[in-house]
Amino acid sequence: MNEIGEVAQLELRNVTHRYNGKMVLDIPHLSIERGRIYGMVGPNGSGKTTLLSIMNLLIRPTTGQIFFEGNPIQYEDSSRLELRRSMAMTFQSPYLFRTSVEGNIAYGLRARGVPKRNRVLIIEDALQQAGLRGLGKRRARELSGGETQLVAIARALVIDPRILFLDEPTANVDARHIDQLEEVISGINRDRGTTIVLSTHNLSQAYKLAHHVFPLFEGRLAPSSMHNLFGGTIKASPDGPYFDTGKIRIWIPQEFSTSASNHLSVNPEDIIVSKEPFASSARNRYEGTITEVVDRGGRVDLVVNVGETFRVQITNHSFRRLELNVSARIYVTFKATSVHLL
Amino acid sequence: MDYLVEAFRDSIQLIFSLDREIYGIVGRSLCFSLTATFLAALVGVPIGFLVATKRFRGRSGLLMVMNTLMALPTVVVGLLAYGFFSRQAPLGFLDLLFSPSAVIIGEFFLSLPIIANLTVSAVQAVDPRAILTAKTLGAGSSMTAWTILMEARFSLLAAIIAGFGRAVSEVGSAMMLGGNIRFYTRTMTTAIALETSKGEFGFGLALGFFLLLVVFSINILFHFLQVRGRSS
Repeated sequence: MNEIGEVAQLELRNVTHRYNGKMVLDIPHLSIERGRIYGMVGPNGSGKTTLLSIMNLLIRPTTGQIFFEGNPIQYEDSSRLELRRSMAMTFQSPYLFRTSVEGNIAYGLRARGVPKRNRVLIIEDALQQAGLRGLGKRRARELSGGETQLVAIARALVIDPRILFLDEPTANVDARHIDQLEEVISGINRDRGTTIVLSTHNLSQAYKLAHHVFPLFEGRLAPSSMHNLFGGTIKASPDGPYFDTGKIRIWIPQEFSTSASNHLSVNPEDIIVSKEPFASSARNRYEGTITEVVDRGGRVDLVVNVGETFRVQITNHSFRRLELNVSARIYVTFKATSVHLL
Repeated sequence: MDYLVEAFRDSIQLIFSLDREIYGIVGRSLCFSLTATFLAALVGVPIGFLVATKRFRGRSGLLMVMNTLMALPTVVVGLLAYGFFSRQAPLGFLDLLFSPSAVIIGEFFLSLPIIANLTVSAVQAVDPRAILTAKTLGAGSSMTAWTILMEARFSLLAAIIAGFGRAVSEVGSAMMLGGNIRFYTRTMTTAIALETSKGEFGFGLALGFFLLLVVFSINILFHFLQVRGRSS
């Protein structure tokens, strides 16, 4: 249950998965709430597809329990097929069947025994929502990468899933179609209230699309408050170890100097925002420009470009007091101890 | 050389004179082979599908046997079936020997390993994502199986055509099981063998042309399906 007493739509408890004896996933707890978009970020090989496949009930986890709307999943039970039919998933490089676009989109409806006369309108609606109007009769294999992904999403959409899992939906998509795909994904959630869990290695895309972002590293969920994720390498200097992202230096505690980690995160709530250089013992201080302001109810998220993009969370009161707005120059400051290596 | 030219002329004459016996033989051959192939496909495709998709003890041994059976000599099939269908044999009471059914049964066993083996290859060549996609879209096991077969349809058709090619061109088992009875079990291949031994080279050659035409058509169809399969 969540903090307001609602049963989570999907909940994973103590889920682990081993592949050839090696632990590839270890999720003590993960809760997916109804009607939200979740962005799972992590590098290649971090277990994103495995986790999505487990949540989609395609793979049975080695240990642990999954609850769908409060009920535990019974893998031996034939009802699993019915449960799986209330979800849908698209893959990083989707497979389209050797038929027309319409034939592909109709697949899930045929699996559910929807009569042919009823399919036509549903397919038309899905084609429209996916921005594929007029492509219904085309051979599916003749489409571009972006169109293929849109067909895969439309195909998943027609079955009106309660949860939609999207595995790297824009990974093989040309730049022209990325915006269209992102709009389609947001539209599905907005118009239908469909819960969406998407994986991506593009952090800014996750922030752009998702209500909640959770990072996955080497099969483990990093603490959910960690939002500013950067790749890079740890280097030594006379002033102490630092993390080189390629664009900025982030000072880290001495005890991290021998770590082999190549990812780092900073909690947005640990970052201090000021209009003038902030006098403190904090070693990490950068001047940058606010590129985005997102109202989160009682709090405000600022996206600040300092060479790397930081997401900072402040209260409404601070936001008003500092008179911040997009394109304002500010300083972001945080301690070396606010850094988490992953 | 004159002898060959004369035989060639006779054969052309027989073809264009719409000789009843020749066309009867051709029709009968096609009917036997198509029936045998249809039955072999009904059995062979599911066998091939199961072998390709299921993991079970003895699977690799079974695959080896299936591969070996592809090269099964036609006379061996004829001999074994003869052993079962002759009067004193266990299935003698069915009275099948020297009947069209016996020819069809022989051709069935000849094309079955070809269809089953090529089905294994066709199904294994289907992209594994097809199965995963079918499952994520809520397909049950039978719909998933049907989807795999549909994805492999061009290769499966090619497998069935190869089975037909084997059936229509075999002579050993049709001769032993059908007895080459005129207007009853005589096929193109058994007629060619008989007419040639009688010295009726023109008649044999005319049938040979028809057989070549069938085989050529099969190859064209094969090629067409392969191109279609690659392009889709």
